[in-house]
Amino acid sequence: MQETTRSELFTVPIGPQHPALKEPSHFRITVDGEIVTDAFVRLGYAHRGIEKAAESRNWVRNLYLFERVCGICSHIHATAYCLGVERLAGAEVPPRAQAIRVLVAELERIHSHLLWLGVAAHEAGFDTLFMYSWRDREAIMDVLEGLTGNRVNYSANVLGGVKNDVDDAQRGAILRAIDGLEGRSYHYLDVVTTDALFLQRTRGIGVMTRNQAEVMGAVGPTARASGVTRDVRVDAPYAAYDRYPVVRVVESAGDLEARFVVRMRELFECYRLIRYLLDNLPPGDLRGRMPRRIPEGETVSRVEAPRGELFYFLKSNGSDTPERIKVRTPTICNLTSVVKLVIGHQLADVPMILAGIDPCFSCNDRTVQLDEITGGSRIWTWDELRRNSREDGHGHRD
Amino acid sequence: MDTATSLAAILVFPSGFFLLAASLAYEWVDRKLLAKLQNRVGPRWFQPLADVVKLLAKEEVIPEGVNRFLFVGLPIVGLAAPLTAALYIPLAGLGPVFSFPGDLIVTIYLLSLLTMSIGLAGSNAVGRFSLVGATRTLTQLFSYEAPFLLALLGPALVARSWQIGTIAEAAGERWFILTQPLGFLVALIGLMGKLELPPFDAPEAETEVVAGALTEYSGRGLALFRLGKDVELVLGLTLVAAFYLGGVEGPLAFFLKTLGLLLVVAGLQAVLARLRIDQTVGLWWRFGVLLVLVQWGVTWLLEGAWR
Amino acid sequence: MMPTEKAIEIGRELAERWSWRLETRQPEPTRLDVILTSPADLVPVAVALRVQRLGYLAAVTGLDRGPDGGTLELLYHFCHGAAVITLRLSVPRQGAVVPTLSDIIPSAESSEREIAEMFGVTFEGLRPAGYLYLPDEWPEATYPLRKDCTPPMLAGAVES
Repeated sequence: MQETTRSELFTVPIGPQHPALKEPSHFRITVDGEIVTDAFVRLGYAHRGIEKAAESRNWVRNLYLFERVCGICSHIHATAYCLGVERLAGAEVPPRAQAIRVLVAELERIHSHLLWLGVAAHEAGFDTLFMYSWRDREAIMDVLEGLTGNRVNYSANVLGGVKNDVDDAQRGAILRAIDGLEGRSYHYLDVVTTDALFLQRTRGIGVMTRNQAEVMGAVGPTARASGVTRDVRVDAPYAAYDRYPVVRVVESAGDLEARFVVRMRELFECYRLIRYLLDNLPPGDLRGRMPRRIPEGETVSRVEAPRGELFYFLKSNGSDTPERIKVRTPTICNLTSVVKLVIGHQLADVPMILAGIDPCFSCNDRTVQLDEITGGSRIWTWDELRRNSREDGHGHRD
Repeated sequence: MDTATSLAAILVFPSGFFLLAASLAYEWVDRKLLAKLQNRVGPRWFQPLADVVKLLAKEEVIPEGVNRFLFVGLPIVGLAAPLTAALYIPLAGLGPVFSFPGDLIVTIYLLSLLTMSIGLAGSNAVGRFSLVGATRTLTQLFSYEAPFLLALLGPALVARSWQIGTIAEAAGERWFILTQPLGFLVALIGLMGKLELPPFDAPEAETEVVAGALTEYSGRGLALFRLGKDVELVLGLTLVAAFYLGGVEGPLAFFLKTLGLLLVVAGLQAVLARLRIDQTVGLWWRFGVLLVLVQWGVTWLLEGAWR
Repeated sequence: MMPTEKAIEIGRELAERWSWRLETRQPEPTRLDVILTSPADLVPVAVALRVQRLGYLAAVTGLDRGPDGGTLELLYHFCHGAAVITLRLSVPRQGAVVPTLSDIIPSAESSEREIAEMFGVTFEGLRPAGYLYLPDEWPEATYPLRKDCTPPMLAGAVES
């Protein structure tokens, strides 16, 4: 009895509700004094049953469903979905539409990286950086709003193309915002690489070697900070990335500082790409022809979300609803590394290491609880569910 | 001093109501300055008072499994200790209400009592965040208390007195910040560590241990602890100003000097990232104590040369 | 990094010419499907892919062929550059047991747990722990991503 009380006292639960987490998930951190000896993760608090729900919606409605997997990287989810469906349908997407997809995706990457910078700085107790980076992020939010009408869930994609064009006024607004942000980003890069106190919290903390990153299947900036050259935009160019090539940003240190540096340097790559893209925007239509019925088939759609590789598997059975859509978000790949990396670190470093992968639990949790996404038509209570399972002749558990 | 004057001094001015009001005002100045430095709007002037009123009006939840007497009593001790200490400190530019040879030591002990109460309150509550926070609070107490005390003893050494009033008088003759810059630095940073202000706020780092030792506190207890910290902020600033910035003769000098120090403190809070608890301890014992000892050595040599 | 065509070619040789002699398909230029015939092949083929550095395990997809088809299909997607090599393994809907890959690929654990919870496949060797995604009070033997799990509320959402 005494023994269990002791061991329980020194298990620190982080989540499902905890100030360090902006979204619900549950980590059980066992500590010996301040040193972490074990970590355990439990997900599912933001499960919304999107994969299941997708099977009962038609291809067009699903676009709006998948855009809502994540509130930060909504565009990239919609892009992955659209690219997959268009490949299944054999539809041609006009080059201008593909370029605008890339434009919005890169703007989204800027906004996501700046948001992450703020969150990570906050975890390190550096609230001034948090406030400044979020203030600057507003510039991108305004640009996205001007471009698509929305600050989040831009809905820029439609099947076969994009919804909004970019006119000269918007082009000017984007360039102005980027010019302003570029100077700020240099400043932030300077801060995260030279501020002595901040470096105490990042340099040499949460080191993941290249080999570890490969084995644990890390993706995105997390992997690139460990020297793994994985970037879908370069490896398998989608949308218009073959016409607007990206320079891969790789760091080798593998610690938290490298993760900061990779994301900051990616910002400059985004600025460069957007400028180049706006100067070389191909003329033409915004939408291609899209058949209403999608032929039978399977395809894989991979894109580089701000957090890493986003993987969609789509299977069509020839009807107007998909047979199966599987979404594998980058966070689930990177989360494995967190659970392994925190062991041996201080408790104070846990939020930082967790933030280092830029986790997004809404992205992660997609599948089951079916109550919220159906437009409030009906709420499914647990009792009903139990009854349902009993009627099906399955056992149930109280 | 007759009983009526003493009572008035304890209850109204300079301790008591005046001190509480000043504490809330200083908390507001601190928050507002920090907000301005972080490019935020910041709270309105009555926000700290509103917070306290709100907390006092709220239900105080006493968790199961705690010692109720300690749980209720510790916040009272936590506020009473700095209020008592205020009587020995030259507040608002006036001399201390009470004074005796050696009151500096008593005052410093009284100022530590708040942190002790917070640490004990955290250990008393059975929550894990409270326990981790309490461990950190007490660890920090042991690390910054020595350098802070030593830094305050620097001017005392020159004034050849343990009495705050005498030291403040000696400080009025020349600014010790000029002759003892290292001591001033350690005293100011020590004060921040004492109050668990950023970047020394590891004991209550919200992203790790929620609210640290005070996680389980709500309502009255939390309000009293917060008030206690605010009072200690004013007292600490006064002590540092009185010892190092040429004394606090008169209300104008008092407000100017303490608010000037507060500006520096807010600036430091804004530009520094939080230290881990091991880094805090390391910083203090490796550099804080060393700096003070160097300062002592230099002071001793110079004083010896003058005499 | 080797080019996509080369990766696909090596993958094909690995699957077709080695002792397990598996059937392959190439549904798209960048994709290679390897049809596994028994769960016992899974671990050796995955090890072979790793040894040849043919990508990392990007995802595990579960497919339900429906109550009539009687089988579930597990798709292990290995990505290398633009190439996606998919190991396809068919298992019965009831009582399927598949060896875990988490011993050789640590990141497989979360994917396998998801499949176990959503489709009811047992992964042999996966260390037991409660649900990863499903709520703790989720009824047993209810696998939400199976086709015959059709809660009444979804009826209203289906449209033609």
